[in-house]
Amino acid sequence: MKKYMGNKLAILLFVLPALAIFITFDFVPIIQVFAYSFTDWNGLTTPNFTGLKNYIDLFTDRVFATSNRNQIIFAIVITVYQMLFATIFAITISDKKMKGRKFLRVAYFIPVILSVTVVCQLWSAILSGEGLLNKIFEVAGSDFKQNWLGDRYKAIYVIAFVNAWQWMGYQFALIVAGIKSIPSDYYEAARIDGCSNVKAHMKITIPLLAETYKFCLIISLTGGIKAFTEMNILTGGGPNKSTFTLTYMMYNAAFKKSDYGYGLAAASVMVLECMLVMLVINFIFRDKDQKKEEEKARRKRNA
Amino acid sequence: MKKKILSSLMCMTLAASSLIGCGNAASTETPAQTDTPAAETTTEETKAEDTKTADTASDTASGDKVTLSIYTQYADDDTKVPYDYAVEQLKEAYPNVELNLIVQAQDDGQTLKTLAATGQLPDIYQASTDIINTFRESNQIMVLNDVAKSTGFLDKLYDANKDLAYAEDGNIYAFPFSGQEYVLWYYNKALFKDNGLEVPQTYDDLLKCIETFKAKDITPLALFGQEGWNTAAAYDVIATRYAAGGIKALDEGSAKVSDEGYVKAAKKLEELVAAGLFQNDATTTNYDQASEKFLSGQAAMFINGQWYIEDATKALGDDVDWMFYPAEDAASYEAGKSAFSGGGSASGFAVNPDSANAALAAEVAEFITEKYCEAKVMYRHNPLVAIDTGKEPDSEYPAMMKKLSDTLPSITSTTKFTWGLTNSTFNDAIQSESQGLVSGQFTADEFVQDIEDTMD
Amino acid sequence: MHNEGKKPVLHYIFVVFCWIYAAFSLYPLIWMLFYSFKTNQEIFVTNPFGFPWPLHYENYITAWTKYNVPLYFVNSLLVSIGTVAITIFCALLFSYATSRMVWKLRTFTRLFLGLGMFIPVQAIMIPVVKIVQGFGLMGTRWSLIFPYIAINLAFACMVYYGFFKGIPMELEEAACMDGANIYQTFFMIIEPLVRPATVTLVIYIFLNAWNEFILANVVVGSIPALKTLPLGVLFFQGEFTTDWGGMGATMVIASFPAIIVYSIFSEQVESAMTIGGAVKG
Repeated sequence: MKKYMGNKLAILLFVLPALAIFITFDFVPIIQVFAYSFTDWNGLTTPNFTGLKNYIDLFTDRVFATSNRNQIIFAIVITVYQMLFATIFAITISDKKMKGRKFLRVAYFIPVILSVTVVCQLWSAILSGEGLLNKIFEVAGSDFKQNWLGDRYKAIYVIAFVNAWQWMGYQFALIVAGIKSIPSDYYEAARIDGCSNVKAHMKITIPLLAETYKFCLIISLTGGIKAFTEMNILTGGGPNKSTFTLTYMMYNAAFKKSDYGYGLAAASVMVLECMLVMLVINFIFRDKDQKKEEEKARRKRNA
Repeated sequence: MKKKILSSLMCMTLAASSLIGCGNAASTETPAQTDTPAAETTTEETKAEDTKTADTASDTASGDKVTLSIYTQYADDDTKVPYDYAVEQLKEAYPNVELNLIVQAQDDGQTLKTLAATGQLPDIYQASTDIINTFRESNQIMVLNDVAKSTGFLDKLYDANKDLAYAEDGNIYAFPFSGQEYVLWYYNKALFKDNGLEVPQTYDDLLKCIETFKAKDITPLALFGQEGWNTAAAYDVIATRYAAGGIKALDEGSAKVSDEGYVKAAKKLEELVAAGLFQNDATTTNYDQASEKFLSGQAAMFINGQWYIEDATKALGDDVDWMFYPAEDAASYEAGKSAFSGGGSASGFAVNPDSANAALAAEVAEFITEKYCEAKVMYRHNPLVAIDTGKEPDSEYPAMMKKLSDTLPSITSTTKFTWGLTNSTFNDAIQSESQGLVSGQFTADEFVQDIEDTMD
Repeated sequence: MHNEGKKPVLHYIFVVFCWIYAAFSLYPLIWMLFYSFKTNQEIFVTNPFGFPWPLHYENYITAWTKYNVPLYFVNSLLVSIGTVAITIFCALLFSYATSRMVWKLRTFTRLFLGLGMFIPVQAIMIPVVKIVQGFGLMGTRWSLIFPYIAINLAFACMVYYGFFKGIPMELEEAACMDGANIYQTFFMIIEPLVRPATVTLVIYIFLNAWNEFILANVVVGSIPALKTLPLGVLFFQGEFTTDWGGMGATMVIASFPAIIVYSIFSEQVESAMTIGGAVKG
């Protein structure tokens, strides 16, 4: 069996196409990004090596701290929102007794289909000074009118919500697909044991979908770290760069200031942050067999 | 059943690759305007190659079709009308030249810079000051000194606009079509009259207007603060009341933001924002939102360039006018009447020196520039173009334009629009910091401090 | 449904909430449709949310006449299908090898490819376009397809990895006993099991490729014969002003095929998933 699953030729054939495309069109450019981040380059002329200068400038940039703060807020908001609602809705529509579940399944996915531009235009209409939301508060006689997207500290939460709202549907679809692939006899068994529906899901669905959840966590968190488009459309990074992220810093430096090297330093830091998050998540979610192997190794060492 | 998905996947791949293969045929260095069949396109490519060897403009008159790619804006009347007019005129003057329009994206030059970095620059492109300065370092913008002379462009250029043609190093890199431009403070005459208000001359007057309008639920001044240039202009119209150089002097380094006048201006803007001069969500308002507010009478004032005269007159007729910027007191108001915000910028149609038909492209670029100016005068009623076109507008100039023309001779100083600034670090800083002031959440002290820090 | 009888009120509140949320998710569609029939003045001042009246259907006429909609449509379709087919194929094989087969560097290889998820396209744009040029792909649809595959690959592999991990090892053992070789095992036994994931990915990757703008603008923006639908919005953004209604019409034209594809596909999703489930049981 070990030999069967360790078929060298098969592994090579399976891995090669993906790896070749990835290395050529993604990895080589990433290496170049790192290399150029140590230079003074405007995108056109020959770059001059400037050592760590871009990075030193970056770490002392006022906007760097703001960007990181925004990314953390963004990542947390979208992770909590998406995973919570995606799980709830996925479990709901997987219940065959739920009426209209086919319709609901399509409905929850609709925002994913639309382009980000459409979704952002809609929300900027809802959230603007005289937008729908403030009008509702007005009619309700509440004083809670806000400058939703123009607030120096709070706007980022609102932008994160818009992103979370749009992409929730995708995690929802993944979890639905995951639930579908769980054999129904697992649930039968749970029912016979007298588990309630919710309890059955807590005990079966969520643990069995650990990998899917791990993946959802990674896309949410890294999605927050590399956020850009929503800010670009909804606030333009403003007011005064208070809704910037590292990707936005990169865009601003590279294209508005023709300081490509500096922009790529910001991008490099962002990529490193994403990698760190992925490694941490991978460590926390280590496979059970992996843990067992580690355990074995430890025992061997002790013996 | 199990085989089905694999086989269908294979089919998809095959089908896709055979279809995509068609794309190869459509590939061409000088693509035609329409989707031409493959064969035709290929011949065109070889023709383009031929002209490359000939390389002089006169040779191309022999009847070979040449396609030049041009990167410019083509969306609203202000950009479409001149382009369509130029293309029409080009057909007569250069029957062998065809243009392949690449519509410019609103992306801070991202597309153009990437095209340049990857050697795909179009033959002719619309270049801003920033683009000119970046591309001339890498020799991706053609020096047009000789062409400007031989085509008579320099003779037609108004004296006041001479500086717009030359870059910092004294060369001509782009044919400008816009002349000197000005930031105008527009106001709705009817709204002022209905509320018994005079046109404000001092900031105290202005504060009174703000109070009255706010009580009536009218936005005093609709700003489109999502665009940094508009907030920078809002700061500049105040700064020029204290220091005539405005943001231009800061850009050139002949003044510092910590100088008294600039600090005062920042404090004044802070005060006006706190009083409610702008709408609450000014920093997330885009141009069309703010403009519609003003044109529909929901806002009393508006800050925009003189190019807006045409649209404003169309919508509001006699109810709209522009005013001299208010100032600290009556004396400085009078004195400041000759100092305007805004100004020309070195920008216009530039040519890719690596183009296969560079010489011809340069001539065509000059031709198009002239035609743009003509169209702007004739159909857009904007006489503030770069060159003397000798054309008359198809109807009378709007009243606001006449008033501006009468004022022009007395204007002694102008500043810059942000796209005319040469220091990109300062440009970035002034746009975002002024936006901070407009939001009411950043103080004047922060404004001064941050710009000071950035400039070091 | 043991709890159904116990907490009916809570249950009904929850059902109502599900439906309200669904309505909220569908609203953008209606809003976009309304939007596309309005003028700037209606969009921003007089009627931002209501039914558009009078109908400014000329927005559609403008959109249709300004650029070659059918051509752009076909281009978008070919690029998207090409991207989807190749990405799915590569990702399936790669994830199988890294999740279930046994070899030394598999975790490293998997994480290495995962890098692709983190890079913003604006950062690698210049190098990518240069590489595309280097392979002589410029002026073909491959100039978009290859970068799109590279962008989507990491994501697809991660999704598949999760699904492959959930399949019990006994399946391969049984197949091995029966004398099937590894290729047969993969394509006939394992691949059908992850079909729910495949279908979800097909939709997602298709949408990504269908809506992509930045790279498309740089790579095929100057080649009329190869332009894709999202580039249509450029015809509505002026130096200062934007024709938002016209842009709305363009977005409707661009989005509706995607919505139709999804509606058709989502039926397939349902049936594909039941097959997967049955095999599993």
